[in-house]
Amino acid sequence: MEALFYVFSFIAIFSALMVVTMRNPLTSALYLVLCFFALAGFYVILDMQFLAAMQILVYAGAIMVLVVLVIMLLNISRIKNIRSDLHQKIIGGLISLILFAEIVLYVINGAQKKPTGIFTHTLIKKIGNTQIVGEFLFTEYMLPFEIASILLFVAIIGAYLFAKKKY
Amino acid sequence: MNDYLIVASIIFCIGALGGIVRKNLIVIFMSLELMFNAANLGFVAVSNRLNLISGDIFVIFVIVVAAAEAAIALGIAIAFYREKGTVDIDKANELKN
Repeated sequence: MEALFYVFSFIAIFSALMVVTMRNPLTSALYLVLCFFALAGFYVILDMQFLAAMQILVYAGAIMVLVVLVIMLLNISRIKNIRSDLHQKIIGGLISLILFAEIVLYVINGAQKKPTGIFTHTLIKKIGNTQIVGEFLFTEYMLPFEIASILLFVAIIGAYLFAKKKY
Repeated sequence: MNDYLIVASIIFCIGALGGIVRKNLIVIFMSLELMFNAANLGFVAVSNRLNLISGDIFVIFVIVVAAAEAAIALGIAIAFYREKGTVDIDKANELKN
């Protein structure tokens, strides 16, 4: 498990860096797919196989295909050489370094809480995590589930309105 | 659990860096997705450590919101490209001039 954690974290961080630094947006999109696969590996290590499948189906399957299609619709030779300024790079690097230092300080100094829930590794293995997630989605989290469906419907209408030729 | 949170924070900060530094609308959108995923990793790690399931449910809703946001953002990208002929966000300066 430890070795797998290090392999996945190396792949995830490397591909995340590549997403940000590559000039061609299509290369960034493919590295982002690699990053999503590494994160799905993390979810498998953390006993959430259902979320790993969702990650690959929805993110790497649906959202990234949408991104690649949009890059195809746009003219790639015209959007490839959009360069950023030097002062922008310096300010961005400083801000993200400060943000990283803050988060790491917060994580290291935070108090470790004792486990409070009942869903241990053995219980999840016994019931199966897809069944647990399904039961929770249709009982305790019923209202957010329905609101999510309305949100997706609104997003369909919004995307249609934005991509339409005449307003 | 701390290791997972550190990895998640590294990915989050790389996403923030991309959102600030790059000028390509599509790449900014992909950096945003990176930040979403770092937050998801944090949720799953903490809920695994505390033996809870609510963090994992929350990740599903985050994925739903990210899908909706992807549709809207790419629609905006197409509309912007049709208007300006590029996706450089420095060309979106009508409110400034």
